Amino acid sequence: MSTTELTGIGVGSQAAVGNVFLLETSDAVYEHRSTKHTPSEEASVLATAIMTTAAGIRDESATSDPTARDILNALLIILEDPELQEMAKPYLLEGDDAPTALFKALDEFAELMGDDEEFLSRVADLRGIAARISGWVRGIAAGPSIPQEGTWIIVADDLTPLETSQFGDSVVGVVTELGGPTSHTAIICRALSLPAVVSAKGAMTLTQGEAVLVDPEGNRVVSGGALSDATQALTFIPQSDAPLITVRANIGGLEDATHAAKTSARGVGLFRTEVLYLSASREPTLEEQVASYVEVLKAAPAGKIIIRTIDAGSDKPVPFLALGHEENPALGVRGFRLAHDFGDFQKSQLAALAAAIDATGRDVGVMAPMVSTVEEVKSFHALCHEAGITQVGIMIETPAIIHVLPDLKGLVSFLSIGTNDLSQYLFAADRMHPQLGALNNPWQPGLLRSVKQVVEKAQDLDIPVGVCGESAANPLLSIVFAGMGISSVSVAPSAVEAVSTALASVSQKQAQQASVLALAASTPAEAEATVRAMFG
Amino acid sequence: MTINHTFTVMDPVGLHARPVGQIVTLVRESGATVTLRNSDGKEASAASALKMLAMKVKSGESLELVIDAQDDAAGHALAEAIEAFVNEG
Repeated sequence: MSTTELTGIGVGSQAAVGNVFLLETSDAVYEHRSTKHTPSEEASVLATAIMTTAAGIRDESATSDPTARDILNALLIILEDPELQEMAKPYLLEGDDAPTALFKALDEFAELMGDDEEFLSRVADLRGIAARISGWVRGIAAGPSIPQEGTWIIVADDLTPLETSQFGDSVVGVVTELGGPTSHTAIICRALSLPAVVSAKGAMTLTQGEAVLVDPEGNRVVSGGALSDATQALTFIPQSDAPLITVRANIGGLEDATHAAKTSARGVGLFRTEVLYLSASREPTLEEQVASYVEVLKAAPAGKIIIRTIDAGSDKPVPFLALGHEENPALGVRGFRLAHDFGDFQKSQLAALAAAIDATGRDVGVMAPMVSTVEEVKSFHALCHEAGITQVGIMIETPAIIHVLPDLKGLVSFLSIGTNDLSQYLFAADRMHPQLGALNNPWQPGLLRSVKQVVEKAQDLDIPVGVCGESAANPLLSIVFAGMGISSVSVAPSAVEAVSTALASVSQKQAQQASVLALAASTPAEAEATVRAMFG
Repeated sequence: MTINHTFTVMDPVGLHARPVGQIVTLVRESGATVTLRNSDGKEASAASALKMLAMKVKSGESLELVIDAQDDAAGHALAEAIEAFVNEG
């Protein structure tokens, strides 16, 4: 018997064994068909089909979590809207059957919504429900229901909330061809504690019913594999009291700061200040800003605090900064680029930070997000000095800034690498894109070698470099970063203990060895596997 | 009894599918007639999810509710609930 092994990106740490349940939608439900019925007969077929299917879906989702149910209900309400059936009428008059007219009406409405990203993200789900409606009309199963008995590994291209809401106790794992570490499927699986491997190329070639092992720690799916074949989660045993490099916490406000103070984090490596502004309908006064910052600085864990100035954009809008619509928000006016149009606000934020630093006496560095030129850094440096802030730094998120680092001597006293955005911009791959998850894998050699480049250039400037992206929350990667010469990592408060333990369990020499292995690898899988083998 | 209630949309993604679904459900149950009007004077009936979504209300925009309910109290309660769906959803 030949065993197939698929590789992807693991979600969770427990492995699972079960039988493959392929969630495939028959193409026949999407076909454009015409009808011999009259348009009014077909219109009543459509109305009945929508009503019946919606009732069925509401029944099935009655026990899923309230948020998922609300979203599903919203989608059903869109499909039940008489307006949609009005939009379908012209197509019925042309002789289309009910499902064809429904799909065309949805397409027409989606086109009308055009630039609305939130809606676009729901279109696949709406089409999924429309497919069930079509299946009802045409007598085709639009997607088999998952049996309540047995132990199933759900295998699909990608999963929609409609599908995940139907998961019962019989579902023990998930494998998807598409999706990335931050996609809908990954988030849901984490929330349900379901092991998953996403972005697994070749998933749909698995056979219905075959037994497979889902091995998230090993980032793989093994057909015929047993639980005993699963990659063991690494356990680190601390060899010293302190981690090899400083571990700080990422925070967004007072609640996080308080939470972080209860961990062993030594300070804050990333305070995302935009969180304070995202829900403000008007620009807060200087006094209000100072008060918020003082509160957070007081509550933050002992140690250095790195504050990032406002990092908003048209996809992360701040109500009182009119940002307008952009075709491509990730490549638009965001981060420090906002200071061009909203200079007064940027000055007021820096003045508030300076006052809060004064009032609390904390050791604080302030950094700018999304800078890519020497001029931008000069301008940020000037603004900080004007406000009385002396420890000035920048985020490394754009590939361009890496190449001009030698020109920043005297302008910055520290650097912080945001690996999430740096990946997105290095690989020209949208972080949220379902098909591009593999490019945003933090083990990508292109990313790791860029991090190394930053460290080398920073050594010439004699300034420290931290990593504050999600990648640092991976204990193995935090060791790799330490070995490269990164001097601090900053992670979510919930990850502080795991990362600190891993970093306390290795020697400088081991970390260097791990970084050499990771940097020599030519694929993400090879990088992760060789480093894991050192500690496994 | 007609009530007007104006508020600012603060949800970062604007008026999106989930609150729209909640609004349709609530308005349907209440039996009231509710119209949404944006600052450009564009209107949508709160009975139609499609029409509300097509207004494409963004974060920071103000939204006026025109509520025709059986009495003042019912109208105000509806206004408050809708604002909460939009901004706290």
